[in-house]
Amino acid sequence: MRLSHITKRFGANVAVDDVSLDFAPGEIVGLVGENGAGKTTLMSIAAGELAADEGTIEDRLAAGVVHQHFLLVSEFTIAENLALAMWGRNAEEIIHDSGIELRDVSRRVGDLSVGEKAKLELIKAIARHPPVLILDEPTSVLAPTEARELFDVMRRLAAAGTTVIFISHKIPEVLEVATRIVVMRRGKIVVDGGVMSAAELAEAMVERRAKRRSDSRRSDSLVRPVLARASTTGSLSITDLPSTGRTGESDLRKSDLRIAGIDVHRGEIVAIIGVAGNGQSELAASLRDSLRGHVAHIPEDRARDGLITQMTIAENIALAEPRWRPREAAQRAAALIERFNIRAQSPLQRAGSLSGGNQQKVILARELERQPEIIVAAEPTRGLDIESTRFIHDELRAAAGRGAAILLITSDLDEAFALGDAIHVIYRGTLSARLTPGDAADQAPMLMAGVGA
Amino acid sequence: MSRLFRRLRPPTPDSRLPRIAIAIGAALLSLVLLALSGIAFGHAPGELLSILISGSVGSKFALEGTLLKSVPLLLTGLSVAIAFRAGVWNIGGEGQFLAGALGAFLGARYGMAAALAASLIAGALWASIATAMRLWRNAPEVLTTILLNFIAIHLLGYAVNGPLQEASGKYPQSDVVAASLPAIGSSELHAGIVIAVVAAIGAWFLLYRTAEGLRLRASGFNRSAAKWAGVNVDAQLVRAMAISGSMAGLAGGIELLGVTHRLFERFAAGYGYAGIAVALLAQLHPLGTLASAFFFGALTTGAGELQRTAGISSTVATFGQAIVILAMIALTRRRNA
Repeated sequence: MRLSHITKRFGANVAVDDVSLDFAPGEIVGLVGENGAGKTTLMSIAAGELAADEGTIEDRLAAGVVHQHFLLVSEFTIAENLALAMWGRNAEEIIHDSGIELRDVSRRVGDLSVGEKAKLELIKAIARHPPVLILDEPTSVLAPTEARELFDVMRRLAAAGTTVIFISHKIPEVLEVATRIVVMRRGKIVVDGGVMSAAELAEAMVERRAKRRSDSRRSDSLVRPVLARASTTGSLSITDLPSTGRTGESDLRKSDLRIAGIDVHRGEIVAIIGVAGNGQSELAASLRDSLRGHVAHIPEDRARDGLITQMTIAENIALAEPRWRPREAAQRAAALIERFNIRAQSPLQRAGSLSGGNQQKVILARELERQPEIIVAAEPTRGLDIESTRFIHDELRAAAGRGAAILLITSDLDEAFALGDAIHVIYRGTLSARLTPGDAADQAPMLMAGVGA
Repeated sequence: MSRLFRRLRPPTPDSRLPRIAIAIGAALLSLVLLALSGIAFGHAPGELLSILISGSVGSKFALEGTLLKSVPLLLTGLSVAIAFRAGVWNIGGEGQFLAGALGAFLGARYGMAAALAASLIAGALWASIATAMRLWRNAPEVLTTILLNFIAIHLLGYAVNGPLQEASGKYPQSDVVAASLPAIGSSELHAGIVIAVVAAIGAWFLLYRTAEGLRLRASGFNRSAAKWAGVNVDAQLVRAMAISGSMAGLAGGIELLGVTHRLFERFAAGYGYAGIAVALLAQLHPLGTLASAFFFGALTTGAGELQRTAGISSTVATFGQAIVILAMIALTRRRNA
């Protein structure tokens, strides 16, 4: 199967950008990249579930797909669900042929564990012996032993000539099972190759410039604005953080978040870096729910948690105020629009009509205007252009200069090295020790991959 | 169900004019369809329309009847508007209306002020049962409030057949309530109409001129973003639901103290549900509710006249409500698309 020059857009967003890729029988391809890199979209196109805007597919083969979300009828039994997929064959026989263990086909699917549902999906997909099998984050709900069982099945299928494509953002797994690794970033393929080290892979997944930039920063650190900072008392000290019930895009269960020992002093920026889905969202949500007092939060998911898009800029800014006087609020919003250089016609403009960067500036204006002592900023510049990014970085530095303690949660290494006075790496809900930026530049890729240290 | 309601999300602040145009269009459409439906009964559409109009606003008597009907509609409409603005699907106006009437009946022996206060509190408490179930077990209000309606209906049925039945024990109804709202001049109208209009203005002030209202609307538009902005969305839910319930409760109290003076089994007569149509036609705006409640009040009295003179069942008023809701959904959806 050969994909050539595939492009797919969703609105203004290019999900897959001119990608060409071909697959040979018997390969186990690990398709890796961060959330939103375009992996799932590309595979949906390969499977024929989604039409590409541009590009062609030659020698299209029928693909069996196991989706991240189950397509099972919970009210039906295992046998009934298999009958839906393959009418006329005995359910136990199908399961036996697949080489996957799943007992008692008369059980209702709604009563199965998540791992068992995942197995059933897999059995459904391979029952037809498709020449191509696409697995979208199949291990996210599996226990380690189940994951190993899955890898055995994948190897067996590959040995029999099936092309297995395995979408994941878990580096150790990909290294364990894949015979070829394709890394996507922002809709493009950045690496396509065979065996590589965990560090190389981690670096390929996140911004590649990071290392280079951090090197240059070490040599001429004066380029970065140096601000007067009072590092006297510890202003934010997190020990044994209670985790909240939020389940986001991440694979972590809430009990998996084990955060202890972050100290952010007044005037300091501490960055937490890691590949998305390692507990960052949970950490930010926990901090939102547990920190009291003068705390500002910049949420990671701007579209969902950022602004109330249906309300005006003035109304959004006033949400942080104890009082609401429409005229006063409009004046204050106008002043902030000016100071934060927000491209808006009026403070009474609907927040949703602003561009992403300007929306982020409104959030920043709202959160920083009340002179917070602690700032928790999650992915504050994700998806923003260079100018907005620089502006937001300057504002965060200025806030630190005023004495705020800032915890920066980011998957952008550049950002972490540009702003962080100290860096922690987060991996599977656990933090590394506090690193200096210099040490982090060397160790971060390994730590982010969950290897070593 | 919830997807249907999501489409009825509160409107956004810009472009006020087309939104009024949509409401007027929906109201006119329901009138036109009502008139056309007369053909099925052998009446000319024009004839039906003129009966509807003369029967609702054509005379002093008709107009008084319309205003009397508008009062509970205005209050239940406000109740729905406030809850929907806060993002809570309070479909329990009917039950809260009955709880308010029961509260007013019990409170009336301590005077008029106590009766009105009791109706507010009873409505708020009845609605708060749904909030408590939401916070305790995450039970959706769409279901709990509707189920609470049935419980309230049967509770009232029990009351008027048991402890609150009239002393003579003849009919399943209560004795005459101990207090009643003063009449306005020599008309049928009572002071409840003033209370209802004040409530509408108060609701507008609450929603658009207080920090409480700002946060309430923010939680309704986007609960998650409101939470990140520091709004205590759970507390907001508790208060919004209590305010919403108290409005419906007040409607029940005023209906008892100003119009029926007795409790009986079919006391609510659909005012709680009609409040949904009132609020939607008003695009969840408290001041719009004034006009929309008057429209539905007129539709109800006009439909009564249709029944008397043209022999068409007065349930056509419900038909009119349904058309308005559907038209509002259709028109709002097109705007979004």
